[in-house]
Amino acid sequence: MSIPLYGFLQGDTVGLVILAEEDDTLQALAQKLQVAASLRVAYRDQVQVVYNDQTMDPAMTVAQAGLQPLDRFDVVAG
Amino acid sequence: MLRREDWLPLARKLDWDYSYVREEEVFPEVISGRPWLPHSEWKDWEESFKTSYREYVDNQYEKDMAVYAVRDAVGRIENVEKLSAPWINSLKVHSAALPLAEFTGVIGNLRGARFGRDSAWRTMATFGALDEYRHTQIPLLLFHHLVKFDPQFDWTHKFYHTNNWFAVAARHFFDELTVGQNAIEFHIATNVILETGFTNLQFVGLASLARESSDHMFERMVTSIQTDEARHAQIGHPVLQTVMKHDPEYVQYLVDKWFWRNWRIFSILTGLSIDYLTALDQRPYSFKEFMEEWIIDQFLRTLDEFGLKKPWYWDTVMDELDIYHHMIYASAYSYRATLWFNFVIPGPAERKWLRQKYPRYWDEMDAVWEQTSERWRAVGPGASNELAVHGTVLPTFCDLCQLPLSAGTPRKNSAKVLLYENRKYIFCSEPCQWIFLHEPERYANHKDVVKRVLSGEAPAQLPNLLTEYFMLSPDTWGKDVHSGDYEWLRDLKTTTA
Repeated sequence: MSIPLYGFLQGDTVGLVILAEEDDTLQALAQKLQVAASLRVAYRDQVQVVYNDQTMDPAMTVAQAGLQPLDRFDVVAG
Repeated sequence: MLRREDWLPLARKLDWDYSYVREEEVFPEVISGRPWLPHSEWKDWEESFKTSYREYVDNQYEKDMAVYAVRDAVGRIENVEKLSAPWINSLKVHSAALPLAEFTGVIGNLRGARFGRDSAWRTMATFGALDEYRHTQIPLLLFHHLVKFDPQFDWTHKFYHTNNWFAVAARHFFDELTVGQNAIEFHIATNVILETGFTNLQFVGLASLARESSDHMFERMVTSIQTDEARHAQIGHPVLQTVMKHDPEYVQYLVDKWFWRNWRIFSILTGLSIDYLTALDQRPYSFKEFMEEWIIDQFLRTLDEFGLKKPWYWDTVMDELDIYHHMIYASAYSYRATLWFNFVIPGPAERKWLRQKYPRYWDEMDAVWEQTSERWRAVGPGASNELAVHGTVLPTFCDLCQLPLSAGTPRKNSAKVLLYENRKYIFCSEPCQWIFLHEPERYANHKDVVKRVLSGEAPAQLPNLLTEYFMLSPDTWGKDVHSGDYEWLRDLKTTTA
C-alpha cells in the first residue's frame, strides 16, 4: 500500500508529497524525492534520510523505519 | 439634509435605553465579541473623523469621478498593452485577490454596524461597509474590459469562486477575518492590524510601483481606496483601547495572531510584486525595505502606544523578511500552471539586485534559479516545453495558513507535524501551529489541498486537478512570460556571485 509522506529535500524551497511503498528502501525514498525536486535542486549522489531527528540506515525499508502516513522525512546532503 | 453640526449629536451618538430586552440580548457576546462589557464602558467611544452622511456621499462622489476620469484617459487596452509584461501579471494577482476580499469587508463592517457597542462605532462601521462595497465594485469595473485583452483577467471575479490553492488560502484568511468574526475581533484585526499596517503594502507600496511602471489607472485606483481605508481604520483603535483596559492578555493574543496571519498573505501578495513582477528598472525599493519603513516601524509604534509587546515570534518575522517570499516565488514558478498569472525567471541582472538586497540567504536561492534555468537550457525554449520545466508531484500546504510549506530556509524547512486528537496536521511554522492550538475547534476540520486529494475530494492527477478543481484551462493557467526564451539563458554561466 502506498504511504503519502511529506518530503523535504535540503536546498529546496517547498515540501513535496511523496508516495512511498512499505518495502521501498530509504535510499529509494530519497531518490524519489530528489527526482521530484530536480527542477529546483541538483541531484546529489551522497544523501542521508533524516526521520524524527535521527539519521537513518539507507538500507532500511519504509516499514522498518516506522514511517507512517503524513510523517515528515528529510533528505540532506551526506 | 441636516447640517453637519446638527446631524452629529442627533444621529451619530444616539444610544438607546432598553426597556423590554436586556443589553446582553441586543448585543450577544458571541457576535458582539468579548469581553462583554455594559455600554457604560463604551459610551466614550470616539474617533476623529466624525463624518456626516452628507459629507460622505459628497466626498465619495468626487473620488469616484476622479477614478472614472483616469480610466477614460489611460485605462484603455492600448494603455495596458504598453505596460511591462511582469507588471501586467502583478495586476492579475491583485485584481483577483482584492475585490471580493473587500466584499467580505462589507460583511464584517455590517456586523460592526449592528453589533458594535456604541452608536458612533456603528455609524462609522456603516460608512466602512459602504467603503468596502466601493472597493469591490471599482476593481471589478476597471478590470472587466481587460478580459478581452487577456483571459487571465477573468480571475478578477472568478478567483474566490474556485478551489485554486491560493484561493483556498485567501478565503481561509478573509473568511476568518471578516465573514465569521465577532465585531470586536473583526475591528481590532481588520482596522488595527490589516488596515493600519498591511494595506499600506497594497495601497501605498503598490501605488508607488504602479507610478514607476506608468500604470496610472491602477495607481489612482489604489490611492483612492487608501483614502477610505485611512478613515474607517480609525474604528479599531478606540475598540482596542477599551478592551485593553479589561483584558490586555486577550488583546495581545489578537495582535499576535493577526499580525502573523496578515504577514503570511501579504508577504506573498506584495513581496512577489515588488521583487519579481515589477521590471528591474522600475523597482523603487525592495519588499524588505518597504516592510521595514512602512509596516514594521509603524506597527512597533502602535504597540508602544497601547502598551503592547512585540509578538513572541518577532525574530521569525525579521528572519522571514529575507527569505520567505523568495521561497514562495521559486516554488510557485515551478508550479505556475496551478495559478492564473504568468511568471518570469529572474535573470542575471535581477539576481544581482536580489543578492544586494537580500545577501543573507541569496546563495541558496541562486542555486535554485540556476537549476531551474538549466532545465530550460536543456529542453529549449518554447510554449510546448512549458510542462517539461514544471513540477510533477503534489506540493504540500500548511494546515493553518493553507499556503505552501515554504518557510524556514532551503537549508532547513521549518514545517512541523502535529498529532492532535488522532489526526496529523502539518504547519509551515511555529506561529501557524501556535494559532491552531489556541483555537483548534475553529481550524481542525478544514482540509488543505493535499488532504482533499488524499480523501478523494480533489483529483490526484495534476491535469485534472488544474482543470476540474482549480478551474484553470490551458488558456488561463500560468506560464513563463517568455516561454523560457531569455537572451541570458543562451549564455553558459549565469550565477551572480
